[in-house]
Amino acid sequence: MEFVSRLKKTYNLEWIKLELLKTAFGKKDSYMGRKDPRLIIAWYFIVSLLPWFTFNQTILAGLLLYTTVMSLVSRVSPLIITLLTIGVISELFYIIVLVLLFGGEWAAFSSLITFTMKITIMSIASIAAFASMDPEKLSDALLSFGVPPQFSFAVSYGYRMLPILLDEYQQIILSFRLRGKAPCNGGFFKWRTIYYYSKIVVKAFYPMMLNTAKKTRTTVEALEVKGFTYSLHNKEAKKLKLSHLKVSAQDHRFILLSFGILLVIYAAGKYYPL
Amino acid sequence: MNQLNREQYSQSQKMMIFILAMSLFGLANLFTELLPEFVLGPVELSVSYLAFIPLSLVMLFHPLYAAVGASVGEIIFGDLLLGDFGGLGELEGFIEFTLAMYIAGLLVTNLRNKKQIAIAAIIGIVIDQMLSTIVDIGKVWFGIEEVEAVPGLPESILAIEGISFLTEMIISGVIFGVIPTLYLIPRLYGKIEPLLGIKPREGRVKASMTSWVSVRFVILAVFLTFVGMVAEFMAELDINFAVWEPEFLEQFGEGYIWLPISAAAIIFIVAVSIAVKMMASSNHHKEGKSA
Repeated sequence: MEFVSRLKKTYNLEWIKLELLKTAFGKKDSYMGRKDPRLIIAWYFIVSLLPWFTFNQTILAGLLLYTTVMSLVSRVSPLIITLLTIGVISELFYIIVLVLLFGGEWAAFSSLITFTMKITIMSIASIAAFASMDPEKLSDALLSFGVPPQFSFAVSYGYRMLPILLDEYQQIILSFRLRGKAPCNGGFFKWRTIYYYSKIVVKAFYPMMLNTAKKTRTTVEALEVKGFTYSLHNKEAKKLKLSHLKVSAQDHRFILLSFGILLVIYAAGKYYPL
Repeated sequence: MNQLNREQYSQSQKMMIFILAMSLFGLANLFTELLPEFVLGPVELSVSYLAFIPLSLVMLFHPLYAAVGASVGEIIFGDLLLGDFGGLGELEGFIEFTLAMYIAGLLVTNLRNKKQIAIAAIIGIVIDQMLSTIVDIGKVWFGIEEVEAVPGLPESILAIEGISFLTEMIISGVIFGVIPTLYLIPRLYGKIEPLLGIKPREGRVKASMTSWVSVRFVILAVFLTFVGMVAEFMAELDINFAVWEPEFLEQFGEGYIWLPISAAAIIFIVAVSIAVKMMASSNHHKEGKSA
């Protein structure tokens, strides 16, 4: 029953839209969000690659603790944390059940826990680094690392077009529902209702594709008039766009602090291996 | 603009295809991110993506720009804007998905032939799923010390991956992949292209012999890697590694990490070199035309 009520809640497009807008346009003023985005990306790469070079469980536990604290500090929404926890627990559960099914022993769990820790460190690090970061800041950082400018354009475009696209898709779905008739009897596991909505979701993309094609042409023509392609390949324009990225004293402190913490974790791993 | 052959794509038309694929697949991804998952033991019944959108776009337009656009849309709308950017994991998905969709688009020669569309769509999704299975198995392999020393683990991983491969193929591949593609393509063909000022596609896009050979080569390579990976994994169950394993671990030990990274790098280089070759051949073609 919980599944059905969740389904009903999810199929309410208004709710989805509000939730999305809240996530995408919410205020992102947090500890990690205030740092230079280039620094955060470098931090993320280091922290998420380190676990793969070691099998020492003390180091892994230390890294796990460190990333968890960082994600708490950057005030990640509880929804994301809950989803992550459920994912990790269920993954662990399946592996354990299957290992037992195939005649494994409890000895298997030690190495399984090592593996799960590695995966979890990676996902928590990404949450801590990116969940609280402004998408436009992130795309600027990527641009300064040499990611093709089309990507950073796509971020800005998506950011602004998201509400319009969602609105349009909702309109189409609503008009489909107005003209159609939802099944009164859902059938076994409500499969008729699910089938009805799935069909609408797919069919609604037909007008959506045509409308978006028209809109896309207008957008690109407007961009060309403004010299968009030229600015993509112009070094001066790029420099101007990225001039707001600066490493401050606060960022220096962050570098020192992270370096110190990682050193402590590795020292602990060396002298007190689990 | 005027001296361009109508079958060629101009810079702004490429941009249009990119943006179109990005917005549509991004929107679809927003949607699927929020759909509930139905978990039944290790079987997870969920729609992981609405594959019919990128599939129909790569078939209707230039496959490369549509495939790249769709992957970027997935990253931006599905993850970045939702505050769920996966960092390195996104790179892996990007490479897998772009490659798979690009190949699916190149396979189609006649958009009125339903059988061909269905086969190309299935192959595209199979490649994507196979690549992600390879990466998943690889991760476990390199992430766990002495996989084969843990009884039951290799079988369990294979079972989990096999089940997820199967359910993904049925739900994302057939129900939300092939069937809607077969519904949409005949309706969109000849109708959506003029909206972007592009002539409807006929025949294989830039059907030069070399690109066709490399497509077949990539399909074969992916398939063989998949088979090889699974076979190797199963082979380890029976062989007694205990005799020489400690040395083996000491010798390579933590350098293990470079194996998956280099595998990913090889896939990436293959994808990029194909892309570069395509660009070069199209430019060459263009010069030849305008001269």
